[in-house]
Amino acid sequence: MSGAVDDGDDVYLGCESCGLVSRDVTGDDPGLVQHCSRCGHVLHATKPFSLQRTWACIVAAAVLYIPANTLPVMETTSALQRDEHTLLGGIHELWLDGSWALAVIVFIASIAVPVLKIGVLALLAWTVRRHPDWRRLERARLYRLIETVGHWSMLDVYVVVLLAATVRFGPLASVSTGAGLLSFAAVVVLTLLATWSFDPRLIWRDPPATPTPRDGRRLA
Amino acid sequence: MGRVEGSLVVCGQCGLAHRWQPLPETSQARCTRCDAVLARAHRLSIQGILALTVAAAAAYVVAISAPLMSLSLRGGAETATLMQAIAIAWQEGQQPIAILAGITALLAPAAFIGLRLYVLVPLAAGNKPPGFAWCVRALHQAARWNMVEVFTVGVLLSLVRLAGLAETSPQAGLFALGALTALFAAIESAGLKHLWWHVQ
Repeated sequence: MSGAVDDGDDVYLGCESCGLVSRDVTGDDPGLVQHCSRCGHVLHATKPFSLQRTWACIVAAAVLYIPANTLPVMETTSALQRDEHTLLGGIHELWLDGSWALAVIVFIASIAVPVLKIGVLALLAWTVRRHPDWRRLERARLYRLIETVGHWSMLDVYVVVLLAATVRFGPLASVSTGAGLLSFAAVVVLTLLATWSFDPRLIWRDPPATPTPRDGRRLA
Repeated sequence: MGRVEGSLVVCGQCGLAHRWQPLPETSQARCTRCDAVLARAHRLSIQGILALTVAAAAAYVVAISAPLMSLSLRGGAETATLMQAIAIAWQEGQQPIAILAGITALLAPAAFIGLRLYVLVPLAAGNKPPGFAWCVRALHQAARWNMVEVFTVGVLLSLVRLAGLAETSPQAGLFALGALTALFAAIESAGLKHLWWHVQ
């Protein structure tokens, strides 16, 4: 177990790379940059331009999410016909084939995770400015959740690449990648970058509007 | 070797500083404010991580070069390796997809293993390798972009999806990927910051 340190106004900075803790000596001067004395990594109380970068990435991801879902991600050719499959269409086919478990896995990875990431990050970035003291612990947990599940949305990209690489029997049966796959891959990368741009320390910044007794003592 | 009692630990998730107290075996310390994991008690030795990394290097070589699965349809048969799958995506005009798959399933795992070997071999002998700080930072990035576990599930999913169309069978590369996923999980459980405790 370890106990929290309450050292008044002194701010400690933990190095993201090596974990060494330094006292913040930059004060409020935004022009000063402090480096870790052990490994030389830049130390920030919060990542610079975190909210701006997060918003930029989630807006771009939300826009690209439209072609990712409307354009086909995969094209299949068989002796009888040529088909185009969208993300949702592919899941629907799996469901009709009776592969419910597979349909659920692909639905979670391709639809639920990207939507969850865009929605949660928009909520987190919005509440940092508008409702800083609303359910901080739950928001911190939400961030950790999307940080953990984030890269699973790559699943369908891999599946289409693998199917295109193995199903190569010419006109008899072949699979190739569709135009929508590029948009979908861009959504995956942008939501990952958005997650890494957001600084969860922002959730805990700005003390509550109504001062608690402890804050009152510190001000006195 | 480990953290000194009474030294400071800052929560990476919320920035709150904690005074360190030793942990009981196999437990973990959590941040008193945001409940994120601050540290885990049980850690592998440098030699232990080195052994796992050597095993991961062997699994990686098999995983990228051996066929992942084979597919046979009316006399014709196709196998695919990871390298071939990326090359085919490139040839079909999907270069960005090929690059993304190459970074997440090929390069990031290679950096994950290669940089660890470069750092751990001298550390096990008690020396600090040149460029140590840069390597640790690069290892953080490699861990972020490494998606071998997702790729492994992707191969399994492709196998199941193709089972209705033709005769499919898993090949050596898929088993190597499974081993690699497990080894990476074990190596990552040790984290990276502890590497600095072994450097003066």
